[in-house]
Amino acid sequence: MQDKHIVTSFDNDLERIQAHIMKMGGLVEASISDAADSFLLRDVELAEKVRARDASIDELETLINDDAARVLALRAPTAIDLRLILSVIKVSANLERIGDYSKNMAKRTSVLLQMREIDNAASSLRRLAKEVELMLKDALDAYIQRDPQRALEVINKDKDVDQMYNGMFRQFLTFMMEDPRNITACMHLHFIAKNIERMGDHVTSIAEQVVFLTTGERPLEQREKEDRTSHDVNMSLDPKTET
Amino acid sequence: MLDTTVDNMIEEKPKIIARDVKVVYGDKEALRDVSLDVMDKTVTAFIGPSGCGKSTFLRCFNRMNDTIANCRVSGSLIYDGQEISAHDPVTLRARIGMVFQKPNPFPKSIYDNVAYGPRIHGLSKNKADLDGIVEKALRRGALWDEVKDRLHETGTGLSGGQQQRLCIARAIATEPEVLLMDEPCSALDPIATAQIEELINELKQSYSVVIVTHSMQQAARVSQKTAFFHLGNLVEYNDTGDIFTKPSDPRTESYITGRIG
Repeated sequence: MQDKHIVTSFDNDLERIQAHIMKMGGLVEASISDAADSFLLRDVELAEKVRARDASIDELETLINDDAARVLALRAPTAIDLRLILSVIKVSANLERIGDYSKNMAKRTSVLLQMREIDNAASSLRRLAKEVELMLKDALDAYIQRDPQRALEVINKDKDVDQMYNGMFRQFLTFMMEDPRNITACMHLHFIAKNIERMGDHVTSIAEQVVFLTTGERPLEQREKEDRTSHDVNMSLDPKTET
Repeated sequence: MLDTTVDNMIEEKPKIIARDVKVVYGDKEALRDVSLDVMDKTVTAFIGPSGCGKSTFLRCFNRMNDTIANCRVSGSLIYDGQEISAHDPVTLRARIGMVFQKPNPFPKSIYDNVAYGPRIHGLSKNKADLDGIVEKALRRGALWDEVKDRLHETGTGLSGGQQQRLCIARAIATEPEVLLMDEPCSALDPIATAQIEELINELKQSYSVVIVTHSMQQAARVSQKTAFFHLGNLVEYNDTGDIFTKPSDPRTESYITGRIG
């Protein structure tokens, strides 16, 4: 870690903000995991817990933003301190969005339990969510350890998430074509998968903040876009015509 | 990459070229092999802890160290294609003006304070001409409106901030090309400070301004280039935006973030 500031209370301020980020990160990790579990285990109570937890996550985001604004106003931070403040504002916003997606997933769980089950869907989604949860854990570890290398590894993992999502997109499409009675359930499932894929993007953004915080530079190379569902015509027409 | 900020649109032309400048007081080395280009139409800030050599370096620019008996300056300092030591000190100081930490108006009228330089350098043809020079300098010093009805009152009767602006007006009356400022705002309140900073910003349209300051926020606000000095060494010299967001030397980082380095 860095040397201490001459003014100790400045260090205290920064530590407080980072402690809040870690707490928020912990809550969000738990929410991803619980939301996916609630779906797999058909556990409505667990889903309800995720929805309730979102309020604490939102509260922490407000707290972090207020603290960050105070440090900006009172301490006029520069260099690493400035980058830290800029990064916590972004990271807390990313975490808040991931929390929202988890909540949304939990909401859909209660709805889906009343519908016909789709083969494998719950476990595939659980796997996808697990992947994102691990990425988040790594990104937060990289954040606290100031490890840009580890952050870059997280950024690279996002394409795996995109690929998994693409596979599920095709799978749901097939189910819907096979039997129109699957459509409602598959629409919900697709939203869940898409939300998890979006969580991955927010985790990637957190990892990018780690690189900015530690080096002062933004990660340069353009990531290869693996989620092609939004512009691949063949994919949305018929999975069989794909090459 | 596309640069859109105004601050980055600096005319990259050196006004003063320093190479391996070394200053020794007696047997104490105050400045060690400093090389740096002061750019034209740019505000350059020198920052660093007390005793780091930043004022010593500034004083080399208009030969202020000549007057100190046991002080020796070596290395090369080129201004206008010629070594600074080869310039005539009187004309040099008319072209490289200086403003000090404490306002130091002459015990003369406001008018005479400003007219002093143009008079001794024979810059005016007649009284009307001199009046014009004085008014122009006071206007540029953002002081004209406040003193235009009492130009013949004594300069020391002004408030601290006004006195400092009077000193700036006096320094720019000879149309210098470089303006050196050694802690020009340390004795001023925030409003007077803001007025001086606004003035510095205007002056950089026509001059090269070099400012020594202990206020890092001030360096960040007014300058486009910042040089960080530490223990007689020039540690880092770069665009101010880079120095304050991503300094490359850990000593700069420690100093500007207020850590024990």
